[in-house]
Amino acid sequence: MSQNFSERNETLLDQAVAARLAKLRSLPTDTARIDRLIREQIPAPVAQQRRYLTQHPFQAVAASLLLLSSIVAVVLLAVSSGPVLAEPLQMAKVHEDIVAGRVPVMQVNSIDAANRMLNTESPDSPKLPNVPDSHVMACCMKSVQNKQMACVLLKNDGVPITLAVAHAADMKLGPAPIVTKDGVDYRVQAVGDLNMVMTTHDGKWLCLIGKLPSDRLMDVASQVRF
Amino acid sequence: MPTDDATTLFYEIVWPLRADVVRFAQFLCKDAVTAEDIAQETLLKAFRALGRAHDRTGNQKAWLFAILRNAWRDRLRKRQSEVRFEDLADEPSAAEIGTEAVEYWNDPQALLNGFSDRQMIDALQALPDEIRWTLLLVDVEGVGLQEAAEILDVPLGTIKSRAHRGRSMLRQALLPLVRKMRRLDEPSPVAGFVQPEEL
Repeated sequence: MSQNFSERNETLLDQAVAARLAKLRSLPTDTARIDRLIREQIPAPVAQQRRYLTQHPFQAVAASLLLLSSIVAVVLLAVSSGPVLAEPLQMAKVHEDIVAGRVPVMQVNSIDAANRMLNTESPDSPKLPNVPDSHVMACCMKSVQNKQMACVLLKNDGVPITLAVAHAADMKLGPAPIVTKDGVDYRVQAVGDLNMVMTTHDGKWLCLIGKLPSDRLMDVASQVRF
Repeated sequence: MPTDDATTLFYEIVWPLRADVVRFAQFLCKDAVTAEDIAQETLLKAFRALGRAHDRTGNQKAWLFAILRNAWRDRLRKRQSEVRFEDLADEPSAAEIGTEAVEYWNDPQALLNGFSDRQMIDALQALPDEIRWTLLLVDVEGVGLQEAAEILDVPLGTIKSRAHRGRSMLRQALLPLVRKMRRLDEPSPVAGFVQPEEL
């Protein structure tokens, strides 16, 4: 009888461990570096492109010029434009893409490591603040209308939260209900079951997104230290 | 010599699974540089293998993990002139590992979910190689037992016992953290107040 109990207990423990390990499968994985290394050695098939270039050299040159002028136009626009608005839907998608591993991210386990990684990728990236009591999982750079945003995926009480940071001069706080907590104004919004709070802090624009009550998100936001 | 067809196949079959390969290598190796080397070597070996006849109906992920296993073994061979794979027969069985403090493990799922992913990965990486391989294949990646047995070139029964033994070893490795968590949960006695002894 007690042997049966012990076996059943063992089975339950085994199942619990197996289930917890299976969750590691959904951890976001950064493949940017390996992608670059592999593409250098195995270029993607370009047979058709090559054929086009040999058969239509003038069109190819014209297309290149057009592409170049488009890039210049986009760069000029980005440099000249003022602060932009990060729409809640856009921010919700950023969070969902990071959590689902649909975008390349870098696995990190501290804010310092995240800042180092992001700085290597993009030297002008906004610095991420420290967030005590949150477990750091991954980071990446995103942009809204060419304004850079440093994003870090945190886990707070087991719930994934994305913290996006940009220069305050680059981002506008959109029209949304304002909640004041401990003297700080937060714009509070929701998309489906995702809540998000936005605020400015030390010359930075902050946005926290996750399936946590907005109150809790504000608590996390109040802990950030630049 | 891989052909254009191999390149097309590579981007069709292997490329979508590259994140699985990278993640597996990262969990397998403590060192990030080694993990990247092994992942890269695996993908290149897969590309070369596609130049030969390739069974497109099989489990492509399991096929890639088998290549990763070879890349990992090659690397071990290079590092030491004579590879000595762990003799698991010398290792204690699950029953011998020690009586786990069962009282700590009530509601195991909630307890395990309380650990961070990093803590779980660290505990995995502390396990012996063959046990780690088994848990990575069977539990983390969800590869079937039979396929895992083929990748590791051991009988099916061995995979089953290694999986069981591995989970038990993992719990054992996590036990100090569990004790710490449990202690934190317990109410601490108020200073100056002597708790009455239980009769």
